[in-house]
Amino acid sequence: MANLQLIDVSIRDGNQSLWGAVGLDTPQILSVAPLLDRVGFRALDYTSSTHMGIAVRHHAENPWERIRLTRDAMPNTPLQFIGTGLRFISWELASPEFMQLVYDRLVANGISRFVVLEPMHDIDAFLESARMIRRAGAGEIIAALTFTLSAIHDDEFYAALAGRLSQSPNIDRLYIKDPSGLLTCERARGLIPAIRARIGGMALELHSHCTIGLSSQSYVVAADLGVSVLQTALGPLANGGSLPDAERVVANLRELGHSVDVDDRLLAACARYFARLARAENLPFGTPQDFDAAYLRHQLAGGVLTTTRRQLAEIGLEHRFGDLMREVVQVRAELGYPIMVTPFPQMVVSQALFNLLGTERYANVSDQIIRYALGKFGRPSAPIESTVLERILGRGRADEIGREPGPPDLAQQRRQFPAGISDEEFLLRATMPAQQVDAMVAKGPACRRYNPATRPILKLLGALRGQPQVGDLVVEKPGFRLAMRRQGHG
Amino acid sequence: MILRRILIANRGEIAVRIMRTCERLGIETVLAASDADLESVAARRADHVIRLGPSPASASYLNVPAVIAAARAAAVDALHPGYGFLSENADLAHACAAAGIVFIGPTPPQLAAVGDKLRARAYAVAAALPVLPGGDVSSLDAAAVLAAHVGYPVLIKAVGGGGGRGMRQVGSPEGLSEALDLAIAEAAAAFGDPRVYLERYVASGRHIEVQILGDGQAVVHLGTRDCSIQRRYQKLIEEAPAPKLPRAVREHMQDAAASFGRHLAYRGLGTVEFLYDCLREEFYFLEMNARIQVEHPVTEGICGLDLVECQIRVAEGRPLGFTQRDVRFDGHAIECRINAEDWVRDFRPSPGRVTRAIFAVGEGIRVDTHIEPGAEVPPYYDSLMAKVIAHGRDRTQALERLSGALARCEIEGVSSTLSLQEALVGSPGFAAGGVTTDYFRRFLEDRPAAEHIG
Repeated sequence: MANLQLIDVSIRDGNQSLWGAVGLDTPQILSVAPLLDRVGFRALDYTSSTHMGIAVRHHAENPWERIRLTRDAMPNTPLQFIGTGLRFISWELASPEFMQLVYDRLVANGISRFVVLEPMHDIDAFLESARMIRRAGAGEIIAALTFTLSAIHDDEFYAALAGRLSQSPNIDRLYIKDPSGLLTCERARGLIPAIRARIGGMALELHSHCTIGLSSQSYVVAADLGVSVLQTALGPLANGGSLPDAERVVANLRELGHSVDVDDRLLAACARYFARLARAENLPFGTPQDFDAAYLRHQLAGGVLTTTRRQLAEIGLEHRFGDLMREVVQVRAELGYPIMVTPFPQMVVSQALFNLLGTERYANVSDQIIRYALGKFGRPSAPIESTVLERILGRGRADEIGREPGPPDLAQQRRQFPAGISDEEFLLRATMPAQQVDAMVAKGPACRRYNPATRPILKLLGALRGQPQVGDLVVEKPGFRLAMRRQGHG
Repeated sequence: MILRRILIANRGEIAVRIMRTCERLGIETVLAASDADLESVAARRADHVIRLGPSPASASYLNVPAVIAAARAAAVDALHPGYGFLSENADLAHACAAAGIVFIGPTPPQLAAVGDKLRARAYAVAAALPVLPGGDVSSLDAAAVLAAHVGYPVLIKAVGGGGGRGMRQVGSPEGLSEALDLAIAEAAAAFGDPRVYLERYVASGRHIEVQILGDGQAVVHLGTRDCSIQRRYQKLIEEAPAPKLPRAVREHMQDAAASFGRHLAYRGLGTVEFLYDCLREEFYFLEMNARIQVEHPVTEGICGLDLVECQIRVAEGRPLGFTQRDVRFDGHAIECRINAEDWVRDFRPSPGRVTRAIFAVGEGIRVDTHIEPGAEVPPYYDSLMAKVIAHGRDRTQALERLSGALARCEIEGVSSTLSLQEALVGSPGFAAGGVTTDYFRRFLEDRPAAEHIG
């Protein structure tokens, strides 16, 4: 029987999967941070370049300040950053020097654990990112084996990739990242031993979303198979499109004879905090999911499916949904099985739609697909089908995109901004609209306290303030009377 | 180290205050309560309650074996002693260490060093802090020589403790013998230690103290507090920062306090008390308190830190995590102590059941209390019921907010000092700021007894 550790993903992946990444602001995170810190999590899946951008855009909050304050509030638990290749906040590719600065500042501000993620599984890109992160001084670097179902992504594919990654001195551990929740118990029984056989004792973690209800069982199987860390979420931020519920996972593991060294009282307290917050802010609770067999075929997450159905309805083609899904499966195969995580589902679906509506398949092709075919996202896991590749690249637009200049160099970028600003502010200004960063700076230091219990009353008072015609208000219940009257009313 | 369960070996508002931070940090609390406090607000708020002993403090809150037994029975990781009672007791700190329980406070040698006022004075001298002319008194002859050297008037003080007990002012050589005998007798009775010492008496002084915080290596100061509004050496109003203090004096005082802390390699929260001689614009080291103070909220108000959290972090063995440069001061904060005392009858204690208790809320207002309607004020302990604290962008705004808040507070069932505090806060002298420690005596004298306020 094994001793398992947990990594909590509530603040990053839970928030992203269920609350569109906009659900939590700095005071809300800081108010739960001391509790999370004492639970005994191995680490927290804490932020990403997306979350950092949203902190500025949506909350006018400084993401760097948020990292520093959280680091200060939780000295016991490493905070994790997840990034993809040479990108930071914006979709544009960044130069290696720029990315090095990003990693340096992340470490300096308090991030100690980094995920290296390459949806294309391009080994050179993996190793280069890991090298930069190690140079920045990261404490722990974990590489993602992004799981998907396809003709090429078999156990041997992952075992071979894991074997090569485990050779790198800059990669400390590996995890199976299953963003679409496709890993069944049967597959886990083949996949996990195959990987473990090739990584020479390196620690292996599992991160599998609950999208079609598979992960609560695969987690238990994974524990039997030697996975040492399971990634989970808390309360309303678990289930649905997020990860399994930590309290349930702990109970299941213990029921089956494993041990998990966490403070159960605090685990419950954290879950309760997020539940109170969700109720106070009208945010949805993740619910357990049913199995959906079709999902295994198209692998489109709920959000993309809903959007696609809506778009079809808008152009009066709702009845072609089945045809579109078949086209999605074919396009994905032709493109060399990109893993269906952002931005690839959107690219594949829009290409499938072009193919379905057009007179000829691949007559119309988006710039993103051209960039993909040109290798700007990295090398596809399998070659793009040759006739399709010719169709995509055999157009003038492909030449233009091929001649697009590479990312600007760091020194040149710096010259565009005032010399006195900090590296942290520069990194935001270089990747975000000036107006948004200005608003963030103008807002000043973040508020540090949040109490879900006072929110409904504050909202009520705010609403009353916005209702000048209400001059007299009385709330009465047994033993209680609250009367408010506008000044000047007799 | 992570502390998961803490025994609170105290009562009243400070017990509730400590719980608030523990709840925020996810630490379980166990309240060690005497019989008189088993139904208190603190007892109801704690995660667990353990009976400490009979109501008199000597049998409960001052009983080291009882406190240690409670800590062991409750299986706590650490013990928070609050203020007063055993908070500066080196024996308790020793006993905790022997029982494998973290004492949330300084090390036993540090407690011993500052608990003995003469030793503390010697440390201050060693750390190059100004002290009042004076020193050890071993006999009447020695005292006479020393007093003559220092110059009358002089003040005789107890080595073993503070709070005004064992303290005697002597105006001329004729009074020395009798005052010395009285002081020795009082000191022996109050602290079990008859030793006294003698210092020059400063007629027009302000009580100004500096909050320090150390992790055993680094020490920072968290600014000044002025606690000059006192009655018989008991503080009534405290504020931070100390108003109307020349900048150079303030900086010198703060640096001196931090350097005293560094000299001791101090761990935890401490307060270095100074007497500021307004006429000479000089300050002198008085003593150091090695615990959290009643008046800590005014410091929290201006520096934005949770001092109980700081104590716990240091007790967990963590470094401070910030430097002096990171400490920023914002605005001004003033605290009024609301005691269960009948102040028009010479501050007679007024224990009993509180029938009505309304405390103000509002921007910049904080109330630390353990009182609600139905709460008992037992006769066994000090009479502090609540602290009303106001923070503002400057002293004027803090004062405005405080006056408004006091006017909105109501306490019935027991007599309280609420109306006295309202009058005091509204008095022109206090409003002007920077009063000396004799202000309160004069304030009372200037108010005819018939003109009872409230």
